[in-house]
Amino acid sequence: MAVTLLIGISYVIIGFAVAFLLLYAIRHYYLGYSRLRIEHPKDSMELVGFYMPRVTVLIPMHNEERVAADILKALVDSDYDWEKLEVIPINDRSEDKTQEIIDGFSKRYPFIQPLHRTGGPSGKPAALVEACERATGEILVMFDADYVPGRAVIKMLVTPFADPEVGASMGRVVPHNIGGSLLSGLLSLERSAGYQGVQQSRFNLGFTAQFGGTVGAVRAAALESVGGWNPQSLTEDTDLTFALLLNGWKTAYVNRAECYEEVPQTWAVRRRQLSRWVTGHTECLHNYWPDLMRSRFLTRWEKVDALFLLAMYWTAPMLVLGWVASLLLFFIPEAHQTPWLPVALAFLGYQLFSNQATFLEIGVASMLDGTRIRSLLLPLNLLNFFANTGAICNALRKFYWNRVWGSGGDGWYKTHRTRGASGDGSAFGGGAGAAVATRSTTGLYHARTQRD
Amino acid sequence: MAFLLFSLFFCAVFYLHFSMAHRAWRKIKGRESAELDMGYVRMEDYFGQSFRAKLAVWIKTLPRATNSSTGLRVFDKGNERIFVAGGAQYPAGRKEREILVIEGDFACGRDCDFEKEVMVKGNCAIGPDTQMQALAVDGTLHLGQGSRVRRWADAVKHLTVGQDTVVASRVTSRTSIEFLPGAQALSLFAPEVFTEGRHENELQIEVAPASVAQLPHLDKDAKAMHGYDPAKLFSMGGNTFLYNGDLHLTAPLHLRAPFVVRGNFSCPKESLLEADVKAYGSIAIGAASVVKGNLTAGRDIILKPNTYFQGLLHAGAAMRLSRGVRGLRDKLPVAAYAAGVMTVESNVVVNGKLASAQRVVAVSTPVAWLEGARA
Repeated sequence: MAVTLLIGISYVIIGFAVAFLLLYAIRHYYLGYSRLRIEHPKDSMELVGFYMPRVTVLIPMHNEERVAADILKALVDSDYDWEKLEVIPINDRSEDKTQEIIDGFSKRYPFIQPLHRTGGPSGKPAALVEACERATGEILVMFDADYVPGRAVIKMLVTPFADPEVGASMGRVVPHNIGGSLLSGLLSLERSAGYQGVQQSRFNLGFTAQFGGTVGAVRAAALESVGGWNPQSLTEDTDLTFALLLNGWKTAYVNRAECYEEVPQTWAVRRRQLSRWVTGHTECLHNYWPDLMRSRFLTRWEKVDALFLLAMYWTAPMLVLGWVASLLLFFIPEAHQTPWLPVALAFLGYQLFSNQATFLEIGVASMLDGTRIRSLLLPLNLLNFFANTGAICNALRKFYWNRVWGSGGDGWYKTHRTRGASGDGSAFGGGAGAAVATRSTTGLYHARTQRD
Repeated sequence: MAFLLFSLFFCAVFYLHFSMAHRAWRKIKGRESAELDMGYVRMEDYFGQSFRAKLAVWIKTLPRATNSSTGLRVFDKGNERIFVAGGAQYPAGRKEREILVIEGDFACGRDCDFEKEVMVKGNCAIGPDTQMQALAVDGTLHLGQGSRVRRWADAVKHLTVGQDTVVASRVTSRTSIEFLPGAQALSLFAPEVFTEGRHENELQIEVAPASVAQLPHLDKDAKAMHGYDPAKLFSMGGNTFLYNGDLHLTAPLHLRAPFVVRGNFSCPKESLLEADVKAYGSIAIGAASVVKGNLTAGRDIILKPNTYFQGLLHAGAAMRLSRGVRGLRDKLPVAAYAAGVMTVESNVVVNGKLASAQRVVAVSTPVAWLEGARA
């Protein structure tokens, strides 16, 4: 009797896991196919430079002496009109030379208005909450301290806000340290698929893009209307995406607003980063799904897409549960084997490897980006798949344990930086393109640069 | 035996799978990405300026050809040659296969064919039905009727795109562009872009508004009037409002807050839109209206005669700028972009940019349209 029950439960689990993963596989294949098929992706590049509202750039920093000068120099070199630009580097209790570097820039450039935090709750969301109270821009642009924006990125990020329905915009992050380790090489594939593939595809199809908290912008009025940043959230960016969506605001994706980032080079750092994302994301799922389903602002397909996005980390435990059930069936002599279920499970699971990016999406993104060599790394992504599956399951186990037993979860964790200190802001040629010509308020004509 | 062969085949495929990946990894190892151009800045006249800059370098660095004769300097550039002359006038039907640099004025007759780029430092007049590759001019440029430019045209002074002329890519000028009926281009950018008849009297519409619809009108108990149903209005917060359905107003509109319409939107003549509007469907703005905000439409945008706009127009499909439309504002130029065809009627003046993913076409205003607008 017990064995029959076990066999029955195992079949139900496998069947459910296959159905669940199949839905995700269909979604990913559809997104990949549609990205390849659309001739003119949705963008507002033709209007870049014609919409210049007042902008505040927020850069949370905690012990960022290695990278602080690079981002500040990059922002000084930006082609955005200085009269409409305010930069707030948020020094959150740094114990290194971060404050000294920021103050040095602030003395030279009056639009850099530092905020030195000495008290209050720590972490990026809390720092953003405090900085937003001082910000004077209509649009708030966010960068993490290790990011180096190109000269035109701010203009590109603000252009979608000419559409009154846009509450946030998201640019694209491109890993710089692709050869730093095998992991960073594999993560570059994942990022490529996630931005060039999935984000652009979802935006083309009329779904809201996901705000990533860096290389992104948010309309100050929209932020205020949803009650500002959620300082309790581990992923304040995902939280904001769905808070905005529930109020009818959309997030636009700007594929051309590219910015270098540094991806984790070691599995330990990656595991902690992933753990934070999984916890924050799943927290948003539980907080928002009832309201999302009831929302009068969203169409049926938008609701389905939002649910898929929020529940994406469930694919990992579903797969593991399916594997366990398959093994049980294999070792129970009474079980009548139906091999297609475990085979389907293995196939679908493998399709969803990495951080939910499929073969097709990575292939499509590599093709569009022209990075063919990197796509040859795909087979090695199997390692990433197993590591991710383990890290995601572990993070979800902790999340639900804490949820049930009410114990405290993981705190905010800052991703470890490996970039060497240049100190002069010259990373990635940041200072090389500085305009020699007098800065024009329109900046639409060709200006002489040192490179010319 | 079959099993052994299959095993061998499987192992070979498995090995290849990972050996190729390993080889790729060895190529990447230790490298940093150089995908992004950190100094990239979007410039509307990029093609013209970039060509000028390259040409200056080529003339300075390339070897001078031995067959250079008096009055004509020739430079070898791989398989191509660059001809540099002081000034020139080409007869009708002349074909030119080399890059041409004219240091004075230049003119060509009807039906010429220039296979490579042309750079003119003086003024330039291109004869009718001429085929060009691309054109950078430091003076004025006149593209004759029916001529065809396969790529871009750029001038520092006034640029005329003649009747039925087609420019496959961008047209830019630092002074002004006149875009005559039948002309087509992918985009036009200048401090002033105008179509024929810009100096004629503007259409006069003297109808005093009988009543004005003030939006947003948040009184939910108010009765539906002027085509507007208060029950369909929702606040998104941040002083932005959403209207769930089509909105076709029958009284002139005074819009004071950003507005999103989940359907088609139209307002009658002499409306005043002080904030941004988005419609999931089409937007039609009545004659003699003033649009101070930006307009975004999922489908078409139509600005009826004599409408002023002061921001951005973004249409997901076609766009029509009717006779007498003006686009201008302080400090920044305006811009209009359509994913479909953009049709520009007579007497339209835009200080900024007109662009389309398909083509911008200038048309003569049909008489029927004018009569409709007057009525």
